[in-house]
Amino acid sequence: MGRYIIRRVIQAIPLLFLVSIAMFGLIHLMPGGPVGVFLNPHLSAEGRAAINARFGLNQPLPVQYVKWLLNTFQGNFGFSFVTNQSVTQVLGEHFPPTLELFSSALLLALIVAVFLGTVSGARQGSVLDYSVTTLSYFGISMPIFFLGLLAQEVFGIWLHALPVSGQSTAGIVFDPFNAAWDQLNHLILPMLILSITFIAGWSRYMRSSMVEVRKQDYIRTARAKGASTSSVLIHHALRNALIPLITVVAIDFGSIAGGAAITETVFAWPGMGQLFISSLEARDYPVLLSMLILGAVFVIIANLLADILYAIIDPRIRYS
Amino acid sequence: MNENLLEVQDLKVYFKVRAGHVHAVDGVTFAVKPGEKVAIVGESGCGKSVTALSIMRLVAQPPGVYAGGNIFFENEDLLTLSERRMQKIRGGQIGIIFQDPMSCLNPTMTIGDQIAEGLRIHRKIDKKEARARATTLLEEVGIPAAKERYDSYPHQFSGGMRQRVMIAVALACNPKLLIADEPTTALDVTVQAQILEQISSICKEFGTALILITHDLGVVAGLSDRVIVMYAGKVIEEGETNEIFSNPRHPYTIGLLNSVPRLNEERQSELNTIEGAPPDLVKPPTGCPFMARCDFAKKICNEMPSFDPVVDQPTHHKACWVDVTDPNVQAYAERRRQARREAQIVAIDEAANVLQGE
Amino acid sequence: MDSSEQLNTTIFDDEEPIIELTSALVQKRRSQGRIIFDRFLSNRTAMIGAIFLILMLAICFLGPTITGHNNPDFLHLADGGGTFSPPSWQFPLGTDDVGRDQFARAMDGGQVSLIIGLSSMAISIVLGVVIGALAGYFGGIIDNILMRLTDVVLSVPLYLLLFVLSTVLTDHSPRSVIFLISIFGWTTMARLVRSEFIAQKEREYVMAARTIGAKNFRLMFRHILPNAAGPIIVNATLLVGNNIILESVLSFFGFGIQPPYATWGNMIAYGQGFMDTDALLVIIPGLLIFLTVLSFNLVGDGLRDALDPYMTER
Repeated sequence: MGRYIIRRVIQAIPLLFLVSIAMFGLIHLMPGGPVGVFLNPHLSAEGRAAINARFGLNQPLPVQYVKWLLNTFQGNFGFSFVTNQSVTQVLGEHFPPTLELFSSALLLALIVAVFLGTVSGARQGSVLDYSVTTLSYFGISMPIFFLGLLAQEVFGIWLHALPVSGQSTAGIVFDPFNAAWDQLNHLILPMLILSITFIAGWSRYMRSSMVEVRKQDYIRTARAKGASTSSVLIHHALRNALIPLITVVAIDFGSIAGGAAITETVFAWPGMGQLFISSLEARDYPVLLSMLILGAVFVIIANLLADILYAIIDPRIRYS
Repeated sequence: MNENLLEVQDLKVYFKVRAGHVHAVDGVTFAVKPGEKVAIVGESGCGKSVTALSIMRLVAQPPGVYAGGNIFFENEDLLTLSERRMQKIRGGQIGIIFQDPMSCLNPTMTIGDQIAEGLRIHRKIDKKEARARATTLLEEVGIPAAKERYDSYPHQFSGGMRQRVMIAVALACNPKLLIADEPTTALDVTVQAQILEQISSICKEFGTALILITHDLGVVAGLSDRVIVMYAGKVIEEGETNEIFSNPRHPYTIGLLNSVPRLNEERQSELNTIEGAPPDLVKPPTGCPFMARCDFAKKICNEMPSFDPVVDQPTHHKACWVDVTDPNVQAYAERRRQARREAQIVAIDEAANVLQGE
Repeated sequence: MDSSEQLNTTIFDDEEPIIELTSALVQKRRSQGRIIFDRFLSNRTAMIGAIFLILMLAICFLGPTITGHNNPDFLHLADGGGTFSPPSWQFPLGTDDVGRDQFARAMDGGQVSLIIGLSSMAISIVLGVVIGALAGYFGGIIDNILMRLTDVVLSVPLYLLLFVLSTVLTDHSPRSVIFLISIFGWTTMARLVRSEFIAQKEREYVMAARTIGAKNFRLMFRHILPNAAGPIIVNATLLVGNNIILESVLSFFGFGIQPPYATWGNMIAYGQGFMDTDALLVIIPGLLIFLTVLSFNLVGDGLRDALDPYMTER
């Protein structure tokens, strides 16, 4: 199995390169080119040439790519056009809030989806099952931003129960305990909104996986041994039903990144998603390029992990 | 009280479908003594598997419905027990082996653990002891290198080996009754004999009663003390194995035994079949279910025959109004057979004409 | 013989007529298409979705002419509308901050959203089927290249890529947005079609067709494709819902359709600022998106159930 893992890792590398090439090319195709922000329309031809030379744009594209690649390997991702800070620094500032939002939403979604899917799959046709199914239909049909707006309106304005923007209350410095509490309060809505789409989708998948598994003969064997209903559910059904879910979650990783961008914008959460949107509007290409590739790296690693996890958990793949 | 280990009385199990209810088991009565080996034979769809599942109360409800009758196991009616009580009996007192060992074993659990699970449910033993006992069981069913193979997974075994594991699973807690539902149908012929031998010897060793369900008459002959023949959800004949094989009294049983090709038959001779198909179980006939296909049928067969002992053979019962040993009856049957053959030829000619005329 | 004749009449005077077994065997069977159709019809939730979709299409496209609300951009300041007016008989969905007829805007926006959703689906299907079929059928290098391409597209988070591309490729007109959305919609379809083709390629009927001289393209499109049609149809239906959401997100952020064209997405973006005064400006288009996508999902799932074991006749 170690060989399988190594093989998968090796396969992922060319993909990363291809993605970087594609994204690099894309950035250079943008209207105005990668340094469009600096191009004042009144700039003379020499001025333009000077800027191009400064950014190395007068060299052939492949050469630029290689240079960029070498820089990247050394950890130099360039400098933001907007703030002139290094891209690494800019990304570093915005990463923790996104990590907080992303991981809490992911965890919540996983736990709730598995629970709901299992319960509704185990009690097919019951009221609970119908409610869960209906709610998941709603969840996948609702655009995230609309849900976010509604939530802001209901919880923020009408009920005045939760804060609707930012990661913490501005202008006030709390003691550590209250600061944590304040941050938690701010996290609740964005976390919920981001996770809802995935709870809806994953619980449906979990449910149908559960229904499939319960039809299997080995469930009957387990019952024939005299195992209690809950024991059958947990040790036999759930174990097997969870396996296909791994792939689904991995595939959805990319969507979570996109969803995070949307959620962060709606709730003014100071993370990478907001950074992306603002960089896009400002045409801050070094930041954009790095974020696109970072996103791709993220997705590729997630898929890789899923494959590996699958191989570890499913004995049929582990020993073959 | 009763010397019977298991007594099934007038069991009725139906399945709800769009068009109504399928009468899968329609009034089945039989008994099994401790240590006895009984075979239930019949064609696909005759209700034998459903009967087996019903004894364990494993029939899925819905769409299944226990529509009537009793199942007495050691004088307790299984159909009235709470689910908890029933869970104690499943695996603990009654074990079952199914047809397809691959799909019947949990692919994500080691085979050893699957055996040990039963032990830990019914006996108060810890993990270590369960593991030891399970390993012993693996040895007893003939799995080589049992200790190492305890941690293997089902997909790493061949079909025959898996079935042995299933046997170990079913017999782990030394149940009084073992039900084997077509245990060898999915296996290679060479392995079939081994598995049957395994079942037979292990039952003998522990004194376990056996209900063997099969459609294969050869399997029956070698293994069972008694035979029960089922058709369309009903028991139509029953008796000791030797008696049934040498002296079948129900037209269906006769047809069944006749249909087995024999080595000493003439080559190029036609295979004997039973013409027709089983009746629709959603609207089963009120009389004898075999009537439509029976050469011996008379008007009285419109009324369901009672299950009576054969003359001079108190342990041999049949559900048939007719005495097939009577030469007059046999002649009548032969006449009917002739007439049917002629009618068939006429029908084929007509069909051919219609096709040509198109 | 004499004695047997005699015995014959005395004992068996109730001889049975031979029961014929032939007629009942010939049953009338419904055609495959009919089976699927009936199954779909009997699925209540799917039917609700389908009816809603038909209604929505009718209202959005025929509504303006029939109901007379065909001036989405006209500022009804003088003729009884005013700004932020609540729903009334004259203006069933009220008016917005400059006095535009919300009902007319909703229908107008609906036309754009629906067209975008449906046409990008159509293009995605064509692209996806072609790529998937070629990859699945021919295998080898073609498969490798095409799948690498698909992998690259799938690796970058979709929304991020779409946002960036929308600034590059589009002039924010409906046509370019359709183009944009469809160049990403084909990926799942391609994967699906590819795996179907790989599975079907080895089946006997393909070999049989080959033996009577069918060439590659004929095999692919006349033989294999119809058998793979089921999952393709289901996926396509679900794709429309997806695309409508995609478009609404793009428009909401200003990367998609921009004024003067109205879509449900940019209506929400526009109404965002007025949520406190008149929440309807946001709720109506949002609800419309929600219900439309929900209906597509219900129909898609209904089709999946209807098509699934379509071989068996009960």
